[in-house]
Order: sequence, then C-alpha cells, then structure tokens
Amino acid sequence: MTIPTARPASQSELIWRRFRKHTVAMVCLGILITIYAASMLAPWIAPYPRDAISLGNAYSTPFHNAADGSYHFFGTDHLGRDLFTRLIYAARVSLTTALTVVTASTIIGVVIGLVAGYFGGWIDNLVTRFIEFISTFPTFTLLLIASAIVIQSSEVIPIPAFVSYVIGAVMAISDREANQVVLIITIFIILGWTGVARFVRGMVLSIREQQYIESARALGASHLYNMLTHVLPNALPPIIISYTLGLSGTLVAESGLSFLGFGIQDPTPSWGNMLSFANSYMFSYPWMPLVPAFPILVCSLAINYIGDGLRDALDPRVQTEIRRATRDAQLAAIRERSKPKS
Amino acid sequence: MATFLTRRIIQMFVVLIASALVSFGLLYIAPGGPMSGLRQGQNSGRNKISNDDILRIKERFELDLYLPYRFSRWLIGFPSGPISIAGKSFLGNAVVGCAIPGQARLRYPDGHTEMIEDGCQKPVTFADLVDRRTSRGILFGDFGLSQVILRDRPIATLIASRLPYTLQLMGVSSLIALLIGVPLGVYSAVRQYSRFDYTMTTISFIGSSIPTFVIGIICILIFAIAAKEAGLPYLPPGNAIANSDYVIPFIGNVVAESSLDRFLHFVMPCSVLVFVNIAGYSRFIRSGMLEVLRLDYVRTARAKGLQERTVVLKHALRNAMLPFITIMAGVLAELFGGAAITESIFNWPGLGRLLVDSIGRNDYSVSMALTMVSIFLLLIGYLITDILYSILDPRIRLS
Repeated sequence: MTIPTARPASQSELIWRRFRKHTVAMVCLGILITIYAASMLAPWIAPYPRDAISLGNAYSTPFHNAADGSYHFFGTDHLGRDLFTRLIYAARVSLTTALTVVTASTIIGVVIGLVAGYFGGWIDNLVTRFIEFISTFPTFTLLLIASAIVIQSSEVIPIPAFVSYVIGAVMAISDREANQVVLIITIFIILGWTGVARFVRGMVLSIREQQYIESARALGASHLYNMLTHVLPNALPPIIISYTLGLSGTLVAESGLSFLGFGIQDPTPSWGNMLSFANSYMFSYPWMPLVPAFPILVCSLAINYIGDGLRDALDPRVQTEIRRATRDAQLAAIRERSKPKS
Repeated sequence: MATFLTRRIIQMFVVLIASALVSFGLLYIAPGGPMSGLRQGQNSGRNKISNDDILRIKERFELDLYLPYRFSRWLIGFPSGPISIAGKSFLGNAVVGCAIPGQARLRYPDGHTEMIEDGCQKPVTFADLVDRRTSRGILFGDFGLSQVILRDRPIATLIASRLPYTLQLMGVSSLIALLIGVPLGVYSAVRQYSRFDYTMTTISFIGSSIPTFVIGIICILIFAIAAKEAGLPYLPPGNAIANSDYVIPFIGNVVAESSLDRFLHFVMPCSVLVFVNIAGYSRFIRSGMLEVLRLDYVRTARAKGLQERTVVLKHALRNAMLPFITIMAGVLAELFGGAAITESIFNWPGLGRLLVDSIGRNDYSVSMALTMVSIFLLLIGYLITDILYSILDPRIRLS
C-alpha cells in the first residue's frame, strides 16, 4: 500500500493560488484578456473595414440607424468611419504599444541594473551617473519633443524592415504606419528603462551582500550563474509589479501623447488620437469622446487592479502590516515617478 | 555643509550645461523652423522671396552661423563681435559661419548634372556679428526671439504673458490638494480598515489610475455641456476669460473679464488637478503614516500618556512627511511648467500649453527656453529637497 504524498506546490502555483483569491484582480484580468483577444480577432469581429468611409454618414449617433439605414454600433466619426471598428483596431495598436514598450524597457532595465548592482565599481558609477543625468530632464517634455521630431522625419529615419514588418503584422497596420509606431515605441523605451534599472540596481545592491551569494561563490558558482539563479529570482516580485504599473503608465502616456497630437498619427487608430478628434467635436456630439474614453478608463483601472492583486500574491514575506506599509510607500514612489506629468 | 553646497552647485552647473547641449542638439536636428514654408511662396508673383530676403531671415535667426557658435551665442551670448583686449580687436576676420554656401556643378559622363553645396561664397566673420542683435545668453536669462508663435518678439514677453495663468492654476491646485490630501491620508491611516479608509483608498486608487484627459473631458461633458442643456448653472468649458458677457441660470449675467468670470473659468481645470493630486498625496501620506504608526517610539509616546492627537500629529506625522519631501522636489518645476494635458483640454493659456503649441508649430527657440527653465528649476528643487531633508532628519548628514 502506498501512501499518497502531496507534491509540494511550486512557487508559481502558490502565487497563482494567492492571486486567484483577489476577485477584483481576476475579473480585471479577464476583462483585459478579452479586450486584447477581441482586438487580435479584429478582422473577423469588426463590422466594417478599418478605414472605410461611409459618405454622408459622418457623426451618426450610437445605437441608431445612420442616414442610409446602415447600423453603426458606436456611431461614426467626423469622416464617417465606424467607431466600433476603429476602437477594436485601436485596442490592438495601443495595447501592443504598451506591451512592447514595457517589455523591452523592463528587459533592458533589468539587465543594466543587474550588472551595475552586481559588479559595482566603474560600471555602476557610469550607469548611475547616466541615469541621474537622464532624470534631470522633464520626461513628458522630452517625450513630446522627441516624438514631434520623429514623426515629422519618420520617412527619413531608417528602420530595420523586419521590425516594422513584425510590428505591422501584430498591429494589423501597413508598413508605412508601422514605421511611425516603431519610432514612438523606441522613444518610450529609451526614456523608460532608467526607472527600472535604478530600482533593480538598488535591490541587487542589498541582495548581493546576502550570505547565500557568498556561499554560492565559495562553491564555485560563476557570476552569471549567481546573477541568474540567486539574485534575479529574489528581485523578481517588485520587477513584476513595476511591470504592471509601467503597463498602465505607458498606456496612459501614449494616449496622452496621441491626444496632444504627437503620438500615433491619424490613419492608424489609437485610443488617444480617437479621443483627440472626438474632443474637438464634443460640443456638437457629446457622446463622441465617451467612446474612446471608456476603454482607456477600463484598461488603466484594470491593469492597476491586477498590479494590486499581484502585489498581494507575490510577496509571501510580507504578511505583517509594517512590511505592507513599507512596500506601499515604495510602490507609491514608483507609481509617482512612472506617472506622466498631468 | 559649505563643501556640500559648493560641490552640488558645481555639479548642477555641469548638468545644466550638458542638458543645454542635449536639448539644443535635439532641437537642432528637428525639421521645420523659420525657413520652412518660405520657399513654397517663392513663385507666387508679388510675394516672391528674393535671395536677399533669405539672407536676412537666415541672419535674423542665426541660421548662417556654424553650430558651435550658435550654441555658445544662445547659451552665454558669446561671441558678439571681435574680441577686444586693451583697445585692440582680435579675430576680426575669423570665420564663424557661411551666409551663402558655394555651389559646385557636377557633370556626370551620362550627361546629367547635379548641384552640390561646396565651400562658401560669402563667409560670416566675427566682425559681422557686431551689428546683430545678440542675446545675453539663456544662462543669464535672455531667451532670444520667438520664431513662429509671436514672430520676432522676445520669448521673455511670451513667457511673462503666460506665467501668471500657470502660477495661478498650479499654485492654487497644489495648495488645495495639499491642504485636503494630507489630512485625508492621516485620518485614513489612523482609522485603518474603517469604512472611511476603504472609501478613501478606493477613490484615490481610481483617481490615480484615471488619466487627466479622461477626467477633464468627462468634467466638461457633465458640468459644461450637460448642465447647460439641462438649464442648470454650468461652467465655461475652456479659456481663462470670456470674450463677451454671458448668462448663467441662477447666477445671472456674468461680465466678461470680471473676477466672477475668471473664477468660473478657473473652477474646472483647478478641480481636475486637485482631484488627481489629492489621490496621489493621500495615498502617499497614508502609507507613510501606517509605517510610522507601528514603530516603537509611537508606542512609547502613547505609553507616556500623551494625547492621541499629539502622538499622531507631532510624533508620527513629522516622520511620515519625510519621504513626502522627495515628491515635492518636482513641484517647483511643475509650478512653472504647468500641466500640459490639463491646460490643453481646458484651453488654459498657461505655459504647459505654450510648450505643446511651440513643439507643434516648430517654434524651437520657445520650446528650448521652456525646457531649460524647467530643468533649472528641477535641479534647484533637488537641491532644496536635499537641504530640507538634512534639516528635518538629523540622521542624514550632507557630505
């Protein structure tokens, strides 16, 4: 007779179990996945082609038949393009932009922060000085200037063809449009990695002084092995949290940039530039800005709630209120820094 | 302290010069500028632009100078002519730029020709600089001339006309947000897990995750458009002052440019910023207070029999406010820079919108001036923060 033994749950299973208890976060995760999945199925879901203009049907009211009897779920914009269709395609552009930006800048930030913090010395000095220098710039201003320049000269700047091909394919936009989006994404990444690098470096500085690192070294572990198996996993929870916060931060920043007219440009739909057009017609057609405002609102709230749930799930060490409060303070600081200037 | 200050100020100066270099370089590579659009009008008869006109415009905006000289003239107003030492002038003939680039015609074997710029037909020398308007340099507070928005007028005038609006908006909203946000955060921490705390944290969570442009637009929809349709008292949706008198139900006739008019225009942008800032501040203070309230010295203070009020306000809050100071570092720069997005939504004529306009309309000298001032104020803010920290927290020694 064998005694059934319970397999000890792995770390990720534990985290998932804890995360699942956070109902709101689970619901939000569901909403977000649904939106993104729907946007990926855009060509099948959307009732009209993306840029199809229905002449004479501009500004048709949501949930009503248009002048020629065609039905536009969320109405049409100033050119008579179906807003529901554009909303779905815009989700694809906006969410993919945010995902790409945050993923790339987190990877760059983590690598640089890890190396700088682990080795110290002149590398660390160089990196910290550079980050300090970058942080003296008002970020949002720099973002505005850089993207204004880049948009005007997007025809001139060479971009590797496969990059714009991949981005174009994922976002369902033409290569020409993709060039512009790639440039915007690049600017966000250039300005975005420093925050991650800074706090990863800070964490690694304290982790590398732990005894287990020393004993691993004594047992002959290489620096690379140490960094990947001991340092990185211990620094992972806050990285994941900052990833989610960065996601909503970038989504909002990109929408804000496009709202001001410096982000993703018109034929390519993004929630920000849809809002910007709707904004100029809102006095005659007050329902119009609500259409793109709603998904921005929902997604940024949802991502933040998921971040909240992850925070509770990820950190088993943090049970006591004191720890929780410390962490809240740190997160508030991170959030405050990652927030675009209002 | 003195050594710290000297070192920091030198460091600040270096950073300032470096960032000036970066922002100048960034805007130098930007397309557009005063020369763009001129050539389109070239062939249209009466408005035809002669080569002399182009020379004059180039001279006016210093486009005929080499980049290092343009940078140094923009930054410190040097060189402004031949260098004179003891009555003698030197370098009068040294070349600093090129007014008319030389042209060379390349002829290819297949018969096709191409013009390329080569050498210089008419160089600009130090001696030519004497007659020009020279800025005293942005480091000494002379921002130069605007190129598009207020063509040929000093940027200082432009900034001065917008500054009061930004100071009013940012100053009042930050102050109100502080006065409301800090007590809310403290109260919410003291009553942790009460109904009040839950409501507060939820509201501030939502407040800090919704972008201002969404809040702003929803506010306009509700308080300006919907309220007006419903015949209720409404708020004007944009601008800082009205052009003509208007009537608001229950309030009556509002005279344009009266203080009531200014107040009505001010309410919405200010409340949006207040709401967003309260959300941020109260979250920050709450978590800081929660951390401090559980420390031993607070228990000691309670054990001594101090009133709860004294414990919270004098013992706990003072320490909880410390990390808050780092957030305040950016406030100085924000007071000046304004809120670009909020100002754009409400058409508020402040500096934030000026920045957006100047970038959108390729008026690079204006955007450079605004960026430089923001960076300067940010650096000052960091310095003040560090000094304040060392004064408020004796554990930190500046060295």
